[in-house]
Amino acid sequence: MTLALIVLAGPLIVFAAIACLPPLRRSGRPAAYVSIAGIGASCAAAMAQAAPFLRGAGIEAVRTAEVVWAPIAGAPPIRFGLLVDGLSASMAVLVALVALLVQVYSLAYMAEEKPASLGRYYAYHALFAFAMLGLVLSHNLLQTYVFWELVGLGSYLLIGFWFERPAAGRAAQKAFWTTRLGDVGFAIGIVVLWGAAGTFSFSELFARASGGALGGTALAVGVAGIYLGAMGKSAQAPFHIWLPDAMEGPTPVSALIHAATMVAAGVYLMVRIAPLLALTPQLASAVFAIGVLTAVLAASMALVENDIKRILAFSTVSQLGFMMAAVGSGGAEAAYFHLTTHAFFKALLFLAAGSLIHAVHTNDIFRMGRLARRMPVTAACFAIGALALAGVVPTSGFFSKDEILAAVLAGGHPIGFAILVAVAGMTAFYIGRAFFVALLGAHDAEDQPHESPPAMTLPMIVLGILALAGGALAPAFPRLFEATVSALPAHEASTPIFVPILGTAAAAAGLAIAWAAYQRGALDPGAVRRAAHPIVTVLERRFYVDDVFEAGYRVVYLGVSSAVGWFDRYVVDGVVNAVTWGTWILAGRLRTLQSGRVQDALYFVAGGLLLLAWLAWTG
Amino acid sequence: MRTTAFWLLIAVLLGGALLVVTSRSLFRAAYALAATLLATAGLYALLSAPLLAAVQVILYTGGILTLTVFALVVAGDETGGVRWRRPLPAAALSVAVLAALAAAVRTARTERTPGGPDSGAAAGAALFGDYLVPFELLSVLLLGAVFGALLLARRDDPA
Amino acid sequence: MTLTHLLLVAAALFAIGLFGMLARRHAIGVLLSIELMFNAVNLAIVSIAWSRGLATGVVLVLFGIAITVAEAAIGLALVLLVTRVRKTAVLDDLHDLSG
Repeated sequence: MTLALIVLAGPLIVFAAIACLPPLRRSGRPAAYVSIAGIGASCAAAMAQAAPFLRGAGIEAVRTAEVVWAPIAGAPPIRFGLLVDGLSASMAVLVALVALLVQVYSLAYMAEEKPASLGRYYAYHALFAFAMLGLVLSHNLLQTYVFWELVGLGSYLLIGFWFERPAAGRAAQKAFWTTRLGDVGFAIGIVVLWGAAGTFSFSELFARASGGALGGTALAVGVAGIYLGAMGKSAQAPFHIWLPDAMEGPTPVSALIHAATMVAAGVYLMVRIAPLLALTPQLASAVFAIGVLTAVLAASMALVENDIKRILAFSTVSQLGFMMAAVGSGGAEAAYFHLTTHAFFKALLFLAAGSLIHAVHTNDIFRMGRLARRMPVTAACFAIGALALAGVVPTSGFFSKDEILAAVLAGGHPIGFAILVAVAGMTAFYIGRAFFVALLGAHDAEDQPHESPPAMTLPMIVLGILALAGGALAPAFPRLFEATVSALPAHEASTPIFVPILGTAAAAAGLAIAWAAYQRGALDPGAVRRAAHPIVTVLERRFYVDDVFEAGYRVVYLGVSSAVGWFDRYVVDGVVNAVTWGTWILAGRLRTLQSGRVQDALYFVAGGLLLLAWLAWTG
Repeated sequence: MRTTAFWLLIAVLLGGALLVVTSRSLFRAAYALAATLLATAGLYALLSAPLLAAVQVILYTGGILTLTVFALVVAGDETGGVRWRRPLPAAALSVAVLAALAAAVRTARTERTPGGPDSGAAAGAALFGDYLVPFELLSVLLLGAVFGALLLARRDDPA
Repeated sequence: MTLTHLLLVAAALFAIGLFGMLARRHAIGVLLSIELMFNAVNLAIVSIAWSRGLATGVVLVLFGIAITVAEAAIGLALVLLVTRVRKTAVLDDLHDLSG
């Protein structure tokens, strides 16, 4: 357990140090070094912790540790604890490693920031890392929720890092609000499950559910609530709207949060509660369907984007849809494998994109061109990432996408399978388009760009190696999964051969079309755009989902607010004002009693006399 | 004979009282009060209190009333022609009080325990005996009243 | 001539005086009515003393009359003062202490 504590303590201590010691924060680069040291220690501890599980230590290696946090009268107390099993240990390595690489990369990317600003940046990074690691290592739902919210806070702070830009502030708020909507469902789900089972702990919940003590409506509502939370964080439609806008944040932040870790938290959570999801098949079908829908929608919106970060953002949403589709088909293992490989190659793509943006000072792919010549390392890394995303053999992406498609098919969803294959083709197309236009292409970019410094290229190279070779990890995943509390009964893992063939064919087709259109000029994209103008407009307007949310916000939220405000002003205040008015009127009337004339007072004396007499008489 | 005197005196009493509250001229009201007070003195005499009758005539009729008439001469009895303010509520209240008092009176025991006629001697003995302190205090009060009245009614002449 | 008759007469006198006190507009008219009320009380005391054969009734009334004299003197002095300052003795016109 000490390793787990080191994993958590590293970023926590760094955050506390930078936050509480203004001189450290204001110094800039020293704060960065402290942060990198902290996350580095965390990463090392996480790797040491995960090693036994990767070697196949099995379920006996699972460790938990807990302390009583809040005693409750008449019920089991709420506990705070850590769970180290195959799932959490491997995820901790992923999070810590990507965080470390991103923080090193940021040294060069954020070099032009003022020192105090840089210190603030690294403080936020430390906070986020702590929150994410805490989320991963939590052994109960309530604790997960606490860290979940902290992660949301970290995301808000990092998206809105350049807060002087109004767009950044709006994007941060949009992210926070949208995920918050889901979090309400999450909270309700947790409470419902606790009400039915009396516990928050994962292992106890799974035991009760499989034993039949927890079931029916309570289980369904609980799991649905948790899924709502996952929908928000993992950008499932229609809660995906925050992710494209979140690109206002610095690119390293996008790489860490919106590719590898935070958005993966939703999928991670669903994988964690896979035993519960297995007991609610209708909900699992819904998860699957929404996942497929998300995958298609996002991929189609990526087709018309010119901003390289937005393309990658929609790509992330689409890939998250793939993962959720696998989770909903009972392929939690496949989903988690893809989560891992996606973390590597998507972070790689973001970092490479950041390198390009840093060099040419624009996000627009059509203002880049032939950058491969000037920036070979970046170009090679981007190419590797693109191939992994497209799922070309032998990249890690190929293996993980293959497993997802197989899981979907094995789960009994042929139509979904076909759709996902088509989406794979679209994926290959849009990433190919980005590659050909930005890195190859017919025209030169405007500035005189040069390759990025080693602080930026080294992390990319590491990720590139992982993206290429990650396929070798594939056999490790079943071993990891056996060693978790969320283990599902093993199913037969034979994949029909046509699955990888179809996958590769789709990828090849997509890349070929992109090459033909953007590199060779054989197809005219402009003409296609004009011909399909209505469709393109819908895609560019992102299916008007943002507008629906905005209108809903205006009508419902602001409407309710103004109604409540009216109520407060006219009814609540109205009662008080009416009392005031009544008192005034009464006072005015009563005042006339005191006329200043003696004989009027004498009337009262005489009246009092009569009253006394009557009282004495009847007394 | 006695009874007739009683009823006569009572007639004067009540008639005079009514005149006091109803006459337009305050002088006439003052004279009516004089009549009422004298009638009361007569009743005192009939009720075996001759000393009181004498005191009533001297102090009340002779003293207060004279004072009142002088004050009326100085102050004038101008009321703008209107006699009363809110006569109806006043009348109603008076009737109510009368009714209450009448109801109380009904509970009085009416057997007579005859005592002797009061004599000045007996009264004097009581005043200088049991009631000495109140008597002396009364003289202080009268002294205070004299000074008070003088102060209040004095004209502020630059002298 | 019974006690009841006498007391009723006293009560009537009191009620008439009360009416005058409440209804009369001139200050001296009010003072006159107050004298009536005092007189009624004295009559009642004397009547009860006569009926019960008490000797202390005399003393009580004596004191009452003396105090009444003092009160009348001060009251009239006040009326004179008011008339001098405000040129009127009508109570309705003297309402400076109104609410």
